[in-house]
Amino acid sequence: MKIRFLLPLLLFMVVIGILGRGLRLHPNVIPSPLINHPAPAFALPSMLHTGETTTDKNFLGHVTLVNVWATWCYACAQEHPFLLEISTAPQRDFMLYGLNYKDDPAKARDWLKQHGNPYQQIAIDETGDTAINWGVYGSPETFVLDKKGIIRYKQTGPITQEVWAQTLKPLIEKLRNEA
Amino acid sequence: MVPELGNFALIIALAFALIQAFSPVASRVRVTLNYPAVLGQFVFLSFAMLCLIASFLQNDMSVVYVQEHSHRLLPFMYRVGAAWGGHEGSLLLWCLILCGWTLALLIFSGKELAVMTISRIISLLGFISTGFISFLFFTSDPFRRIFPLTPAAGEDLTPVLQDPGLIFHPPMLYLGYVGFAIAFAFAICALIEGKLDKNWAQTLRPWVIMPWSFLSMGIVLGSWWAYRELGWGGWWFWDPVENASLLPWLSATALLHALIVSEKRNAFKGWTLLLAIVTFTLSLLGTFLVRSGVLVSVHTFASDPTRGVFLLAYLALVIGGAFVCYGVRIKHFYHPPAFELFSRETLLLINSVILLTAVATISLGTLYPIVLDALDLEKISVGAPYFNLVFLPVILPLLLLMGIAPHVNWHNQSFKALWKKLRGVFLLCVSGGIALPLLAGFEFKWLASLGLAFALWIMLATGQYAYQLWQQRKSVSWQNAAMIVAHLGIAVLALGITLNKAYSEERQVKISPHETVILAGYQFTLEKIAETRGPNFKSETATFRVQKNQGTPHYLTAQQRIYDSHEQSLSKPGIIANVWRDLYLALGAPLDNGAWSVRIYYKPFVRWIWSGGFMLLIGGFLSLMNSLSLRRKA
Repeated sequence: MKIRFLLPLLLFMVVIGILGRGLRLHPNVIPSPLINHPAPAFALPSMLHTGETTTDKNFLGHVTLVNVWATWCYACAQEHPFLLEISTAPQRDFMLYGLNYKDDPAKARDWLKQHGNPYQQIAIDETGDTAINWGVYGSPETFVLDKKGIIRYKQTGPITQEVWAQTLKPLIEKLRNEA
Repeated sequence: MVPELGNFALIIALAFALIQAFSPVASRVRVTLNYPAVLGQFVFLSFAMLCLIASFLQNDMSVVYVQEHSHRLLPFMYRVGAAWGGHEGSLLLWCLILCGWTLALLIFSGKELAVMTISRIISLLGFISTGFISFLFFTSDPFRRIFPLTPAAGEDLTPVLQDPGLIFHPPMLYLGYVGFAIAFAFAICALIEGKLDKNWAQTLRPWVIMPWSFLSMGIVLGSWWAYRELGWGGWWFWDPVENASLLPWLSATALLHALIVSEKRNAFKGWTLLLAIVTFTLSLLGTFLVRSGVLVSVHTFASDPTRGVFLLAYLALVIGGAFVCYGVRIKHFYHPPAFELFSRETLLLINSVILLTAVATISLGTLYPIVLDALDLEKISVGAPYFNLVFLPVILPLLLLMGIAPHVNWHNQSFKALWKKLRGVFLLCVSGGIALPLLAGFEFKWLASLGLAFALWIMLATGQYAYQLWQQRKSVSWQNAAMIVAHLGIAVLALGITLNKAYSEERQVKISPHETVILAGYQFTLEKIAETRGPNFKSETATFRVQKNQGTPHYLTAQQRIYDSHEQSLSKPGIIANVWRDLYLALGAPLDNGAWSVRIYYKPFVRWIWSGGFMLLIGGFLSLMNSLSLRRKA
């Protein structure tokens, strides 16, 4: 048997190998180009303190989670109880900020009153311009920022128990111990 | 009750598929189980499909698949289509169509081959079917119920799927994909038996032609659907899943031509077998890419990893086995070439090579992101610029050949005689390519002239061939008519693609009510915009008056829809079409004071693209007539 007759088989096996490896990857997870860059600057009205402004300077000095959410977002509502849980935990060692994305602020306030507010601060991004600068392409998304306000991680999709225990919690601990 | 019946029907169908797979064993004791097994399987798969459709029509929201893909307010027609609008249902359709093809093969060609040969082919198809029905039943059961029952309206069908295209595009595409299983089974059977004769090639030919025609039509319908529904004004995006449908089409085209040589000249047997295996491999690969979620695409459904693993194992087993078989047995099919260097055989060989090169370049672009990701290098996506760049130089020589090949004799051809015959056409199309756009008042663009020259080349050379045939015989055989129509179809397609690419215009503008915007000489006036209500969506509906100079005004409506069950909005473009151009308008986002951002496109010759594709279908039909007429003579 000549070896060239088996060439199609060899080629096919290489393709199968690659596809098999590919199955264990997550093509939807696109790393944000903003990782290890300072959070894009913004100044937006605050939802919790009417008349005040929330800016990127508010991120300095502590580990911050910035959660992009909206009342029209179905997955955000599913994520919400878990955010309440981590935010009201006794030894919380981070700040949870919300970025209210393309929403009606009055509706959002009512929604929080009804379901509880996990956020320490909320910036109102009615036009979605800030979200564009942050590279948000869906909600919910959560950015993890270190004490210097540098984006270190981005979670696309809801934070689940699993994501929290395996990724976010250890990361927050690590960032907290950084200078 | 209905879903349970459907589920039960699947189990029985699976049993029949197993009987079908092992039917040659029974034929040793002189019992033919082929026909009852295939028929039984077909009946029960059809019944399962009807049960699924019935569940949709009854709005049985306790069935997970219905709940995820339908909505109480979803219009009737889309509820039928939704039965194959998701992973599980489309897989059921896959199985049903495979079984339908097998049944048709048995009925129409069952007597043309030796009993043992047809029995082996049916058995191989039975193994393929067993694998897919198991996959359906064990990993993707469409009839699974949710308990406890929560009153739900249903999550609804994804808005882009709510289009008449849904009813026809997937079945057409699957009729193509799945049909290539027959050629695959024929090839494996030939390898096992070590025999490939004229009768084999002649019997197989219609079973390649039909799926090829359906696939051509499926691709065309998909393109037309994307154009109407996605609101980007494009008709082909080099999306991984589009590529997955184009790949088997290209290789099946090569197979079609190789089969002619096998049938008429008793040559290219190795090629024919390899192409038959490769074509079905690419079909399965396409199914894998769509179903496993390994690539990011508009077509991939949310998927769970066990499905991908199952499909990959299946692919490795079926295709790996086929290639082993090929490697071990192909030496029995080797003949020294019995034709001269310049002959129709050579040109058809080059045709195969070019088409496979196209397959390789498109596969490379499609799989490259996975390769890089698999090697942990980086995440990238390969887009239209790559494909446009590499596809054009690969495909242009093919267009050149298409004009020449019909004029070239089998076995041997004098180059001088050919040049004498075609030089007039050659000069005509070079000058026509340059002059025609200028005469029609378009500016000179090299892409347009190139496309026009090549399209004219095919049209004129094919026309000359048809004329000669008529002169000699006063009649045109089905086979020649098929070739002529299909080749002209490719010319029309090439013309549409290049002229559209060269002369399309677009503008993105802000427009307020009663304002007018001009594009390509057409005045678009926003007459009114108002909120309207559809069956399961609300929408901002804009009416535009479109007028050229002071000509008759036309009206088009474009909508920005928000579906009740999805927060996602869908921009439904308005289109005014004629043979020469489409005017295409899509609403963007509302701006201040009642103004809207809109995108307006002028798309010349876009209909030619789909018309060319439709001509391929007609060509396929004519070729089928040829196969039928051969049978009648035999």
